Amino acid sequence: MTDLDTKATPSLRMREPEPPGHELLEPEPLWRVRLRLMRKTFGRNWKLFARNKIGLVGLTIIGIFALMALLHPILMDRVWDPAIYDPVKGYDAVITDFVIVEEVTDPFHEISLADAQLETNPFVEVGETVSIPLQPAPPSKAHWLGTDPVGRDILSQLMYSTRAAFALGAIAAIFAVFIATTIGSMAAFYGGWLDAVLMRFADLVLLVPLIPILIVVSALFNLNLPLLGILLGVLSGFGGTAIVLKSQALSVTVKPFVDAARVAGGTNRHIIFRHIIPNVLPLSFLYMMFTVTDAISLEATLSFLGLMNTPMSWGIMIYTTHSQGYLLSGTSYWWLLIPAGMAVTLVAASFFLVGRAMDEVINPRLRRR
Amino acid sequence: MQTIPSPAGAPPRDRTDAALLEVDNLTMEYEVDGGNVSAVSNVSFALHAGESLGLVGESGCGKTSVAMSLLRLQADNARFREGEIRLNGEDLLPLSEAEMRTHRWKDISMVFQGAMNAWNPVQRVGAQILEAINLHIKPRPTAAEARKRMEDLFNLVGVDPKMLDRYPHEFSGGMRQRAIIAMALSCDPQIIIADEPTTALDVIVQDQILAQLLRIQKELGMAIIYISHDIAVIAEVTQKIAVMYAGRIVEIGPTEEVFANPRHPYGYLLLHSAPSITGPRRRLAPLKGEPPNLLNPPTGCRFHPRCPFATEKCVVESPPLQEVSPGHSVECWHWDKVPSMAEEGHA
Amino acid sequence: MAKFITKRVAQMLLLFIVFLTVVFFLLEAQPGDLTQQYIGNPEIPPEQKAVLAERLGLDKPVGARYLAYMGNFFTGNFGNSLSQWPRPVSEMILEALPRTLVLFLSATLLAYYLGFVTGKVLAWRRGKFTEYALTLGGVGLYTVFYPWFALLMIWGFGFMLTDWVGFRVFPINKFIDVQDWVGSPFSANHVFLRMITVAALSMLAAAITTMIARRRLELAPALRVRNFAFLAGVLYPFVYFAMSPMRPYAADIFHHTLLPVMTLSLVAFAGIMLLTRASMLETLREDFILTARAKGLSEKVIRDRHAARNALLPVVTSLVLALAFVIGGGIITETVFSWPGIGLLLLSAVTLEDIPLAIGCLSIIAVLALFGHLVADIIYMYLDPRIRYQ
Repeated sequence: MTDLDTKATPSLRMREPEPPGHELLEPEPLWRVRLRLMRKTFGRNWKLFARNKIGLVGLTIIGIFALMALLHPILMDRVWDPAIYDPVKGYDAVITDFVIVEEVTDPFHEISLADAQLETNPFVEVGETVSIPLQPAPPSKAHWLGTDPVGRDILSQLMYSTRAAFALGAIAAIFAVFIATTIGSMAAFYGGWLDAVLMRFADLVLLVPLIPILIVVSALFNLNLPLLGILLGVLSGFGGTAIVLKSQALSVTVKPFVDAARVAGGTNRHIIFRHIIPNVLPLSFLYMMFTVTDAISLEATLSFLGLMNTPMSWGIMIYTTHSQGYLLSGTSYWWLLIPAGMAVTLVAASFFLVGRAMDEVINPRLRRR
Repeated sequence: MQTIPSPAGAPPRDRTDAALLEVDNLTMEYEVDGGNVSAVSNVSFALHAGESLGLVGESGCGKTSVAMSLLRLQADNARFREGEIRLNGEDLLPLSEAEMRTHRWKDISMVFQGAMNAWNPVQRVGAQILEAINLHIKPRPTAAEARKRMEDLFNLVGVDPKMLDRYPHEFSGGMRQRAIIAMALSCDPQIIIADEPTTALDVIVQDQILAQLLRIQKELGMAIIYISHDIAVIAEVTQKIAVMYAGRIVEIGPTEEVFANPRHPYGYLLLHSAPSITGPRRRLAPLKGEPPNLLNPPTGCRFHPRCPFATEKCVVESPPLQEVSPGHSVECWHWDKVPSMAEEGHA
Repeated sequence: MAKFITKRVAQMLLLFIVFLTVVFFLLEAQPGDLTQQYIGNPEIPPEQKAVLAERLGLDKPVGARYLAYMGNFFTGNFGNSLSQWPRPVSEMILEALPRTLVLFLSATLLAYYLGFVTGKVLAWRRGKFTEYALTLGGVGLYTVFYPWFALLMIWGFGFMLTDWVGFRVFPINKFIDVQDWVGSPFSANHVFLRMITVAALSMLAAAITTMIARRRLELAPALRVRNFAFLAGVLYPFVYFAMSPMRPYAADIFHHTLLPVMTLSLVAFAGIMLLTRASMLETLREDFILTARAKGLSEKVIRDRHAARNALLPVVTSLVLALAFVIGGGIITETVFSWPGIGLLLLSAVTLEDIPLAIGCLSIIAVLALFGHLVADIIYMYLDPRIRYQ
């Protein structure tokens, strides 16, 4: 039964007693007992989690974005014409009438003489009206969030990028947690030189500024989304996350049930996999959330700096706006900046908030604050 | 042995019959998510100058809540529902925070449980004592006077005065506790509350510190309220004892009388749950069951679920506090049956 | 104490060597060869190429190359820039370093000071409206996508505020307004260095005055001296430059620093504020706070002298993490505001594939991070007697 016990999170180790004589009446298969316990634990944890409104808000936002990511391929397939709505290759220009003026005060209806001559022919004059495609176009019925400086649909880009962001976050989180749980448990269990080496290495990784390193790496290697995900996962897994998980694992190794397992003849392997890792997992899961937050905002940052080799992402959307100079023209082109920036902020913040809410479930000391 | 000079201008100690501290029908609840926790209910006792009173009971019975209420340091979610705490006749409960602050440490000081954490780790011990002296002693002493006072205090409790310039982590556990006692004495209080003063210490140091407290009390004449779950400690140092159960004082009386003739079944069981080395050999009576949940306390007598004499009446009606012998009162319908417990195999 | 510092310095040095080694092997592992970039660069004359190849030891084995690389670093020889051939990398870094340092330092100091004071008060006002509003705002700032936030700041303070008040309150980018400097007898760097020196010396004087006052005076007058000294320390540079012939130029540079520093410190401030609040709440549960209350101390004294002093310890430890943020955020800030510091230099080096310059910048940033870590350690040791008296 010891290994069942360890399935529960640290705060919920108290279980209700089994009904008396239960096992005698009907030998229940172990997997069913485990499933039942897991369901019970989950239910109780969910109740604690749901008490935190901010965590629920975060979960809802993540849900909405996940829905958008799922909806995009269906829309591209059934509703949207790929030639117009493709996030990377699509093009749509709303032909609009512009009045040629000396000084432009309304960029959506007026155009300067020089620009008009460039766009149409050199013979137009001030006061005439010309019909040229409007790019970027403000939100309209066809393009709910407008189009970008090269005539692509912003909403489609936004939805398409969600998928990439989630995939990146998942890759980074899985790598980080797999590595950190393994080396954290090993360092805590074996101690000695292994512990010292791993932890000094973690200090080093933590110390080195991440963004500058990634900037240099992007110059040396072809940095695409999967590679970035793995890189961030490995760095986080050997760095900060490893330190936190190691201290958690250390608090498990001194628990009586580990001694009991050892006395009962459990091998090191058995103790690490059956006792230590299951008790570290809740915290590992929590740190997955924080890794997702970091990965999404780092990808967006690198894209924003123009260093990522990826066709489209939220960061690329802001990069396009920035590099085409639409920021310096003031607030009139808001739809180029607000949706993408909001998306990065909301999703990153939501994972962070869900992580914080989970922290309160796992760590009872933080409750009632 | 040096004595601590009385601060100039302080009124002479009241040694008449009027009680120094009277707690009258004190009722306090903690507001929590699921309702109110009735932590202290209808607690009354009186403390005279120079007297020492022991509050005993299991953990969670409300001892510390009572102690904290005396200084009005109760938790944020605590609510006083009823009662008065009168210090020299003045009710402390309606006082403003600022007025209450002038009483803290000056009139009632405290020796904390677990002295390890009672010191601020980043300040020198002397500076922490000086803070209290400078705040409460009027007129404010010069630096040299204050220093002299602190050195006298350290000599009194048996710690090298040089340690005043050290940080708490450089003290041993016993030294830290002695220093806390010195700090508690620093403003010449009328009452000291000693909350589990020796619990974290080893037995020899425990004994030394209790002996020292007794000696200091004799010398300086302040009243001490001891709070402990350890009956042996209380028996050694108090004249009066109050047994608490589930937020109520169920038995109160002179220490010797209560030890010789406990009249509440809980008091009896509590006394007999500890072995005595010097007394006659007897069987230990274990206390069965767990203390009640105070969020929803039992009806009638709060002890009835664990009581061997519980009857219908106990479940329905709360017993009054009745005086069974001079100064010895008990809250039990069946107090007269308690002496029979020894014969009935409860001991 | 000296032993502790020596030990830490030695550790840092070791870490830096490990770091340089990692970078070296990263360079070795990159697809293609550094040689190609030299051979392919048309701006380098052929005879220089031979010298370069020899100096880089491209024909030698890896071990020898590694030793040469390390040797060059510790003699301050970072090689020559490829994009601005043949400027030495060290010269370019030295030019950009003060600008970055000013950005980092002022943002860190502002964020720490304001964040600590606000967080402290916030924890004390549990359940009040200001607590909710500020905590929510703090979480928002803490989780916001930083480049986007910087762009929004430009929008808000650069454009909307300008439209609203009718003149440009904050310049939106660059280090100076070039047309204002036409015919200037001073170079921008010269003015800037003078500004840094005067500000640093004046703050140092304030710090020394405060320290002497602490030793010689009682608490209350010492606090008055401290407040006065710091006020004077902040005001003196303004007076100095108001009376100097550099006035219009210094004002121009100062004007350009405002928005980037404000943006970076605002976001760093949010993190420090939230951390201080959490740390204060933790400290308030400690027994010694109860002791302080039982002693009859006023709430303000308990908060400032007992709780805050202890709550500061984890906040100082977090300087390491804050530093990582300030460095990353600093690079973004420099990009968004076209602030010609190390970050922008690194970014342009990377886009122009100027590897020696990129490695030089990266190493300097690593040195800054390590140095910051060391400073945090020393402050911590100073604040916590349990470590100081080991």
